[in-house]
Amino acid sequence: MPAAKDNERKLNMDGILTVVCFILLLIIVVIPIFMIIYNAFFFEGKFSLDLFTTQMTDSKNLSAMWNTVQIAILTTIIGTIMGVFYAWLLGRSDIPAKGLMRALFNIPYMFPPFLGAMAWDLLLNGRSGYLNKWLRTTFGLSQMPFNINTIWGIVFVEVSYYFPFVFMQVVSALERMDPTLEESARIAGAKQGTVIWKITLPLMKPSISAGALLILTTSLAHFGVPSILGYAQGIYTLPTRIYAVIYNSTGSFEGIRQGAALSVMLVVVVALALILQNKILSSGSYDIIKGKSMRPTLIKLRGAKIPLLILAIFTLVLIVLVPLVMIFLISFIKAYGLPLKFENFTFAQYQKVFNMNGTLDSIKNSLILSISAGIISMFLGTLVAYVVQKIKPKGKEVLEVISVLPYSIPGTVLSIGVILAWSGAIFGISLYNTLWIILIAYIARYLSFSMKTSSAALLQVHSSLEEAARVCGASHTESLSDITLPLIRPAMVSGFFLIFLPAMREVTTSILLYGPKTMTLGVKIYSLRDAGMIPQAAALASVAIVIIIILNTIVTEITKERKGV
Amino acid sequence: MANVRFENITVGYGGHMVLKDFSLEVQSGQIVCLVGPSGCGKTTLVRALLGLNKPETGTITVGDKVLFDAKKHINVPAEKRNIGIVFQDYAVWPHMTVIENVSYPLKKQRRPKDEIKQRAMHALEQVRMTEYANHLPSQLSGGQQQRVAIARALVTDSDVVVMDEPITNLDAKLREEMLLEIRMIQNRLGATILYITHDQQSALQLCDKMAIMQPDGSLCQFGSDEEIILNPANRFVFEFIGVSNFIPVVSMGGKYALDCGEKLPLPAELNPGNENIAGKELGVRLNDVVFDKQSPLRAKVSSRIFLGSEYNYFLRLGQKEIRVQQDMLAARLYGTPEEGEEIGVTFLNPHYYDPKPPEQAAAVVESGKKKKFSLFGKGA
Repeated sequence: MPAAKDNERKLNMDGILTVVCFILLLIIVVIPIFMIIYNAFFFEGKFSLDLFTTQMTDSKNLSAMWNTVQIAILTTIIGTIMGVFYAWLLGRSDIPAKGLMRALFNIPYMFPPFLGAMAWDLLLNGRSGYLNKWLRTTFGLSQMPFNINTIWGIVFVEVSYYFPFVFMQVVSALERMDPTLEESARIAGAKQGTVIWKITLPLMKPSISAGALLILTTSLAHFGVPSILGYAQGIYTLPTRIYAVIYNSTGSFEGIRQGAALSVMLVVVVALALILQNKILSSGSYDIIKGKSMRPTLIKLRGAKIPLLILAIFTLVLIVLVPLVMIFLISFIKAYGLPLKFENFTFAQYQKVFNMNGTLDSIKNSLILSISAGIISMFLGTLVAYVVQKIKPKGKEVLEVISVLPYSIPGTVLSIGVILAWSGAIFGISLYNTLWIILIAYIARYLSFSMKTSSAALLQVHSSLEEAARVCGASHTESLSDITLPLIRPAMVSGFFLIFLPAMREVTTSILLYGPKTMTLGVKIYSLRDAGMIPQAAALASVAIVIIIILNTIVTEITKERKGV
Repeated sequence: MANVRFENITVGYGGHMVLKDFSLEVQSGQIVCLVGPSGCGKTTLVRALLGLNKPETGTITVGDKVLFDAKKHINVPAEKRNIGIVFQDYAVWPHMTVIENVSYPLKKQRRPKDEIKQRAMHALEQVRMTEYANHLPSQLSGGQQQRVAIARALVTDSDVVVMDEPITNLDAKLREEMLLEIRMIQNRLGATILYITHDQQSALQLCDKMAIMQPDGSLCQFGSDEEIILNPANRFVFEFIGVSNFIPVVSMGGKYALDCGEKLPLPAELNPGNENIAGKELGVRLNDVVFDKQSPLRAKVSSRIFLGSEYNYFLRLGQKEIRVQQDMLAARLYGTPEEGEEIGVTFLNPHYYDPKPPEQAAAVVESGKKKKFSLFGKGA
């Protein structure tokens, strides 16, 4: 009976999609993670804790671990307080120019923190920072007033880039909060301060802890800022230590194995932090957000308005404007160390940087990598989301966890896994020093972004829409292409940009994976600076910033248009 | 024009039987309402008809075409069954305009362009939506989307159209209108309509025949609405199809009495004859309780509410509270007693049923569970 056969084929298509999904995730995610664990604990096929114990007892590693934890905790606490404070100020008070300030507060989110670290290093370096030198001569100090190359310096730069995580979460929750919750407390006789402390803040707890968690895990895994600010003073964190170990061993297998052992340590630290945070901040989520759009009443700042406005503007200047201006200024300087005077300015650095071997290649590589990682992850993430949401096979939870896993694993660790897996260990496939290996790492790292957006969109597509198409005479495939895909296309596109933008400025993963011909834009800036070519690094960084701004504007325009439909 | 026949259909989800050996035949050109509480398997049955789930046993035929036969391994895929469907949530595709939505089934049949356009417009005419042809569904009200869904179900001239609770999301007035419209469309096209609802009121208004399903998924009565109202097959149908009073019957000195906290002798004219009704319950509809000055059953009016076209009363009969609905004609005939007044009452058309066994309570929980399953089946 041909009809029966038809039906079988449909069942098979679901089956094929599921199998494809599992296989791709196995290759991209499971194998690298497995390789790290295997190499950390097994040597020449035998179980051995030797490597692990020597690494664990090495005082350098232990101090790196302690630094990592210290920096992450300080960054989380300060970043959270700052994020909540500004969210409240811009979300619920009557401070002027809210819209503009909100947009400006989101800027740090766009830029790679290592550029900020570069800028602050130029300003406040303990030996030669421009601002330091100026302060010393102006006020006749005996020594440099600031030193950014310390734990606190690293915390300062990380806070200025990571507090938006909390800020954005809380500000949107504050705006959607049901105002009657606060109003009834006022009516019951509570003072304004009491309301903020006893009602608003506890209600915001879920969004605050979500943002704080993001800061904590990002900071623990962060490579850029501590590597730029810490190396000179010998301050290492686990991610920079892993990089140093591998870099110093010039890519030998022993170095990579040590890196793998350190990676396991880092993963353990991240996991402990997650558990700890869950314990401290565990709280039920409240249903405080109503579907009705109600405008919460704004709180009058009265006399505090002007001082708070000045504080907010000062913060913005400090975290957004100063680093940007500094990078641009240095990119025009004739030679590093010359005073920032107009007669010392030139365009020559741009010329030099673009005449240099590999600069254009690095931009090209980053574009190729981020576009292809964006497209591939977009489709793969949608595939996983479709299998999980619609086909619902046995083991769909496993599928979901696997696809989200790489994002909670530090980028450095992921890179080591990819190196271990694809340098000939499996079927003799060696992708080392090619763009492919970076691409695989990017896909693994960013897959969860597109998976989540597509998943959310698919949830909105009620299965009766697809079924209606089937009943109207569309085959299974036709109902997918006519109904489901067009409906989730906007989400897929935004998933693409969510991957494309961070991949464009990525350093952490690619710094361990790049080869002579596969430098990415981020790595190129980083290594120019590392080689002491600071004005050239600043010139390329300025180009990168301009590219990022242009891309962001395009994305905002595109997403705006789509929302209009 | 085609009749629809389900024979011995069994459907289960993960070991849980939703339908067991279910059989039903719907005559060609009729509107049949499938009525039952939420979770009784109505939607599961329809999904089996549409080919969206696969029964374990039985056959489904439309006209002379076998759509499903478990033994012969026939299972025509959903897209080849040619059945129109109006889903509960309309399932109008939000990214297509009204006319694109309605044309889609014809496009899938690879009809020529002119024909598609002409037939789609005709279908829209039938539901009076032509001026909205180029609107997107998001620009339409719920009722209008509903009509688009109906037009889409009708456009291919399917012999059978299934409507799954299509009017539950509409307001009362529009509901009334849509019911009339469905009736009129059916008159014009003569299609067989299988209409699913848990709301017996709309079923009464619309159907030629009603099929009542019990929470366990079995068919307990199939007949015209009159038959079902006047001669309910069992207590479930009686209770499901309207609100009723129940009073326990006990025996007292060789005769029957109503147990209302105190025992009141059952008037002789209510005695059903030779059937033993001791231990059973007397069930009577609210509008079958009438005032009768001569009746030995005396009750006290505890409240009276005027609702425009009828009166509602709460009466105390012994220690028991009973409800009464009185239409305007009955009000003229038998008077409208004041609150606090004592009055004689009698029951028209009483039914005697066994009291609800204690496990009935468990069955409610069970049906709640089942609801989840059927929702799951819907893919919600």
